[in-house]
Amino acid sequence: MHKGYLCLVLHGHLPFVRHPEHEDFLEEDWLYEGITETYIPLIQVFEKLCEDGVDFRLTMTLSPTLSSMLADPLLEERYLNHINKLIELSHKEIERTSWQPQFQHLAIHYLNQFCKARDTFEKYGRNLALAFKKFQDLGKLEIITCGATHGYFPLMDVCRESVRAQVKVAASHYESLFGRRPRGIWLPECGYQPGQDEILKEAGIKFFFTDSHGVLHGTPRPKYGVFAPVYCKGTGVACFARDLESSKQVWSSIEGYPGDYNYREFYRDIGFDLEYDYIRPYIHPDGVRINTGIKYFRITGTTDHKEPYVPQWATERAAEHAGNFMFNRQKQVEYLNDFMQKKPLLVSPYDAELFGHWWYEGPQWLNFLIRKIACDQDEIRLITPSEYLAENPRNQVITPSLSSWGWKGYSEMWLQGSNDWIYRHLHEASAKMTELARSYPHADGLKARALNQALRELLLAQSSDWAFIMGTGTHVNYAVRRTKDHLLRFNRLYEDIKSDSIDNGWLSDIEYRDNIFPGIDYRVHQ
Amino acid sequence: MAIIRKIKDKIRELAKKEINLKAKLPKPAKKSAPPEEEKREIMGERETMVEKAKFFQPEIAPRPRREMPTELPSQYDRDRIVLQVRDPWWLHTYWEVRGQTFDRFKSELGESFYRAKRTLRVYDVSQINFNGSNAHRYFDIFVSEHTNNWYIDAGGSGKSWIVDYGLLLPDGRFITIVRSNVAHTPIEGPSWITDEEWMIPEDMFARLYGMGFGLGQSSPVGKAWQERVKRALFSGVFASPGMASMASPVKKVPKERKFWMVVNCELIVYGATEPDATVTVQDKEIKLRPDGTFSLRFALPDGKQVIPVKGVSSDKIEERVITPIVSRETKSSILVKA
Repeated sequence: MHKGYLCLVLHGHLPFVRHPEHEDFLEEDWLYEGITETYIPLIQVFEKLCEDGVDFRLTMTLSPTLSSMLADPLLEERYLNHINKLIELSHKEIERTSWQPQFQHLAIHYLNQFCKARDTFEKYGRNLALAFKKFQDLGKLEIITCGATHGYFPLMDVCRESVRAQVKVAASHYESLFGRRPRGIWLPECGYQPGQDEILKEAGIKFFFTDSHGVLHGTPRPKYGVFAPVYCKGTGVACFARDLESSKQVWSSIEGYPGDYNYREFYRDIGFDLEYDYIRPYIHPDGVRINTGIKYFRITGTTDHKEPYVPQWATERAAEHAGNFMFNRQKQVEYLNDFMQKKPLLVSPYDAELFGHWWYEGPQWLNFLIRKIACDQDEIRLITPSEYLAENPRNQVITPSLSSWGWKGYSEMWLQGSNDWIYRHLHEASAKMTELARSYPHADGLKARALNQALRELLLAQSSDWAFIMGTGTHVNYAVRRTKDHLLRFNRLYEDIKSDSIDNGWLSDIEYRDNIFPGIDYRVHQ
Repeated sequence: MAIIRKIKDKIRELAKKEINLKAKLPKPAKKSAPPEEEKREIMGERETMVEKAKFFQPEIAPRPRREMPTELPSQYDRDRIVLQVRDPWWLHTYWEVRGQTFDRFKSELGESFYRAKRTLRVYDVSQINFNGSNAHRYFDIFVSEHTNNWYIDAGGSGKSWIVDYGLLLPDGRFITIVRSNVAHTPIEGPSWITDEEWMIPEDMFARLYGMGFGLGQSSPVGKAWQERVKRALFSGVFASPGMASMASPVKKVPKERKFWMVVNCELIVYGATEPDATVTVQDKEIKLRPDGTFSLRFALPDGKQVIPVKGVSSDKIEERVITPIVSRETKSSILVKA
């Protein structure tokens, strides 16, 4: 009989980086790398588990921006070109490394990986959102939604209409993609502001996640700490808090698994390492060297000296690490069960792209972990939040605390000298959007199109990713440009709508560029 | 991808940076990011042309091209102040006051307007319905005329705050120009409020609290754990990398010195024959270009490479073998001057 639950959560998100106006756009590569290295390997792990009859439960966010891009025909076409070029490069690599068997078998390994990735991509009609839907429909995966464009909610508290729009647009988008309403949400950056759960409730959302201190610093004191969810006072929306012990083991830059010396080194990519003329066709057309995804070395140690990667050793380590993780959870659950006189719940959320993109062996680790949990032990049971709540409906009612899972636990990552200037403009635009929604409750035709586009532009400007990139302090141009472009487009739409002089040609152009959320309804911004 | 690499590097630096809250005295943040030089973009030009081609509009004069501004307005022509929470101890406020509003105060206050100090008055309004004069306490921050935002050291967590931007007159009167929303700073530790129905003894809660922060089962009880949690929490140890695509969780040890150098060798073997000939290199058949030429590129390790290239005519009657023999030997030395 199991003594506690483990809820693994993978947060999949990328900002909307679709640029139809350019043939090649550097930032679109974020998506292609994510597809090849994270999303497809995860799908392949899920497929294999189902094939082998291994039962599992995972919770996963597919942020609306990410799932929109996964379902976008232009980006799908471009991804196919991208993977085809990688396959071509792998063939060349196999030849080039003829006299270096230690690298040649890695080149063959990549060729296989890329070909299989292409097969998986084609198998789901190029729309990977449908692949994830399949596992949700099978009851293995619970897909949750996120803010429509990953806006950071605590810094939108003075314009809750925008929080409402972020949530409602996300929920409708989820429904159009997955055929049912979302039960849960990943608050962008885990940013929770007390009271905003009202908006979640309005949208029919039953649960969300916070960082540990969101619940631990809640009022009144949570009797079970982070090891049981709580209901928010006044709304009854359930709040699940992160267990930092299990997070740290995977996540920590100091003691986490991904730093093992046998694992693949991320920073040695042939896009940077190989001779320029040779690699030129596979890097950015401007000649800027970029990661290709072909990497031949293992972490080796703390110096620059790197030894060739040996996949078999890495796989063995991933299996050991999975065993270690499970063992620690067993101990944790046993101890807590005794202590709490109740089955504890461990919530372990991770950025999805940690698995595969950063930690190349991450999907293998997950695969081993799930299999070991299914076959080798009885103490812990994998569970989704919905299942947990169905089995454990009685939980304490508290008001969680303002919190985020970002740097220093609150809002500083998104509110500091380098990015604080954006809020003046974002809040102003939110106020104007509310005004528009109220002034034109029954718009149709061209005006409705302009109003819908205004909301799209506002939402795109609100992505927390832009503030985050500005906060990192290096090469902020793209993030600044995106923030300004969307706000400028919004401002012009506002003026055109108010003065009844909408420029159809221009509107069509920005509808084509910023085509996210085709079914959006501006009236949700109230 | 160099850009992203740079961002990644920066994030790693950030994670390591020791943050000293005390060192962060309140200071006005930069007004805005410096404007970049941007090309002006003529929006919708292409679409407009499509429209023109589709619809013949003889009566209407061509619409003048409308240029999009590339910079956001610096003001929105309204009097407004917004207060937001950065963390349990710090607030951020930004404001805008129209010229005409100042003009009104100028004419009302006369001479004393010019001697008044632009002031942020920060009120502690915890648990009350603020009416302008019932705050628990307040403090003033003098700001310069051109400042439009400020980080406020509230000096206390778990409280509610309102800020006024106004004029402090020489006679001590304070005149509010704009008043903010209420902002609530969160408490910095566990609540002292307990729930009768869900009671838990103090020491048990302390253990659960420490465990929730991943400090293990032996987490210290009492004031010590709070301090430990606070230190860890605010150093960013627990932080997620923020944006998954941008930050590696894998630790990189910074080098003491930046200098480095690598040298590699590759060998290109190329040639030509009849386009319909069969060619093998080191016994492996290769593909010829339509004109009969071929090139092969190999990473060249140290040692000797014997590379027999064999060509066989299409009628299998003639055969030629040419065998380049290449050896590489690498020497290296390192010199570090004191």
